[in-house]
Amino acid sequence: MAWRNLGRNRVRTALATLGILIGVVAIASLGMATAALQQQATADLQGLSNEVTVSAGPDHSHDGITADQVDDIETVTGDATVVPEKSNVTTLSARNGAETRLRVTALTKADAMYNVSRGQVSNRLRSGALLTESDAERLGLEIGDPVSYNNRLYRIQGILSSSQGFGGGRRELVVPMSAMAEQDHYDSVTVLTTSEQSVESLTTDIESWFNDDDEQIVNVRNFAAVQQNVDSFLGTLQLGLLGIGSISLVVASVAILNVMLMSTVERRGEIGVLRAVGIRRGEVLRMILTEAAFLGVIGGILGVVVSAAIGVVIFEILVGSPLDAFSWQSARYLLYGMGFAVFASVLSGLYPAWKAANERPVEALRE
Amino acid sequence: MSVIELVDVVKEYKSGEELITALDDVTFQASHGEMVTIIGPSGSGKSTLLNMIGLLDTPTEGAVQLNGRDVTDCSPDELTEERRSEIGFVFQDYHLLPMLTATENVELPTMWEPTLDKHDRAVDLLGRVGLSDRLSHQPTQLSGGQRQRVAIARALINEPDVLLADEPTGNLDQDTGATILDELTRLKETEEIAIVAVTHDEQLVEYADRVVELVDGTVTS
Repeated sequence: MAWRNLGRNRVRTALATLGILIGVVAIASLGMATAALQQQATADLQGLSNEVTVSAGPDHSHDGITADQVDDIETVTGDATVVPEKSNVTTLSARNGAETRLRVTALTKADAMYNVSRGQVSNRLRSGALLTESDAERLGLEIGDPVSYNNRLYRIQGILSSSQGFGGGRRELVVPMSAMAEQDHYDSVTVLTTSEQSVESLTTDIESWFNDDDEQIVNVRNFAAVQQNVDSFLGTLQLGLLGIGSISLVVASVAILNVMLMSTVERRGEIGVLRAVGIRRGEVLRMILTEAAFLGVIGGILGVVVSAAIGVVIFEILVGSPLDAFSWQSARYLLYGMGFAVFASVLSGLYPAWKAANERPVEALRE
Repeated sequence: MSVIELVDVVKEYKSGEELITALDDVTFQASHGEMVTIIGPSGSGKSTLLNMIGLLDTPTEGAVQLNGRDVTDCSPDELTEERRSEIGFVFQDYHLLPMLTATENVELPTMWEPTLDKHDRAVDLLGRVGLSDRLSHQPTQLSGGQRQRVAIARALINEPDVLLADEPTGNLDQDTGATILDELTRLKETEEIAIVAVTHDEQLVEYADRVVELVDGTVTS
């Protein structure tokens, strides 16, 4: 019955449905977009979230962390992996004449610090080197090719994956510790926590070991705070975007309110007849609410289909894996959109339904 | 015993600042198997009277009795229940729902009760008013007389005691009007119902067992 009533003015029904559809698409696709951003940001930050970096502070007596201090850090941090690093800057030139200036990092335990997209990374590197992908391309270097640093040759054994850490634009050559043997001290020490250890407490432990109120021997940094900031920013972004989405659904429900109001005014006499032949007020109410709910459900379903398609595209672009759009993190926005659509439709059908049901049949029949 | 009875009914309503007395001390009754026709000039209160009899409106003073029960002070919802079970309506403009078939229109008053299946009765009633071959037609595919017969079938679906007809032949030509009136007369006899019709139509007066004339809100005959 409600279904056929909607069929009576197809254009009006279609327009109301379109309104709901747009509202649902706005909510669901904006929600999915933030879910995609969040997933990407979390993936980006994951490599940093368990790192504590120690470097020489302003009151340090040397220009870097000493080997003794590295031992101290190892003592303080227990099971954590401690990776001392020396770093420098160099210019690499290729046979084809291309040149690139990049950061050189010398370390042991390269396998704990780096992921490669191609080739392999061994613990000590020995005579091998790792190079970021963009530089390898620029210089026309492949795995197995030699690079020269400080008059010594190293063979490239791995290409660093470019999407690690904030490293989108990172340019780095990683060489064995022996390459910088002439440098006495370490520029920084990276502590990789085990899963049981907290980044914050390790940071405090190291600080209290070396520093006191007067002297800041070492600087200790971690990225936990960065991750928190990013998370909270994304949370705010998400709320904002969902807010925008909701506004469009509010507009859509005003459209439904209008459609339902128009159609009840138009059918005033007819509803009067229904009431006269003994249809109860509750039944009239139910009929009109059902019509409104139908609008919401149809608009919602269409909206969910369109949003799912948009979600797949968003995830393909932002994350690179389109099917992640159907993970709960993102797919729940489809559910929210649908729920909101039905809720808003019924809510805006309420007043017209109430008005129609409570009209006195005598008045309605006079039409 | 009369099915429906109005005792000393007064109906006043406000039109702007003016207090209009639409019905002034009207007493009316109709019995099973009786066709009563209400006539009178426009503005005489015919429709108001029919609304009172049909429990669509409540009187300012006086009492309304349905099958001996006083329904004057019933709530709107209680009146709806009474209308549903005891009263059938036939309107001048038929008032069929355009998107429903003839059978569905006849079933309409029972449609919201899933436990009640009146489909067979609806088909039977349509057969009795001569529309067996029009069961699945929509109102737009039916002639005026056929539509009015669908409306009559709808009015009878809940086996009412009273059938109220507001100008039932008003939109029909003489011949079609006559068949509708024959139909009503037959139903009056077979179903033992009281029929109350409001009309200008002389033809309808001929079919009536009793005529009530209303002038300025009072019964004159």
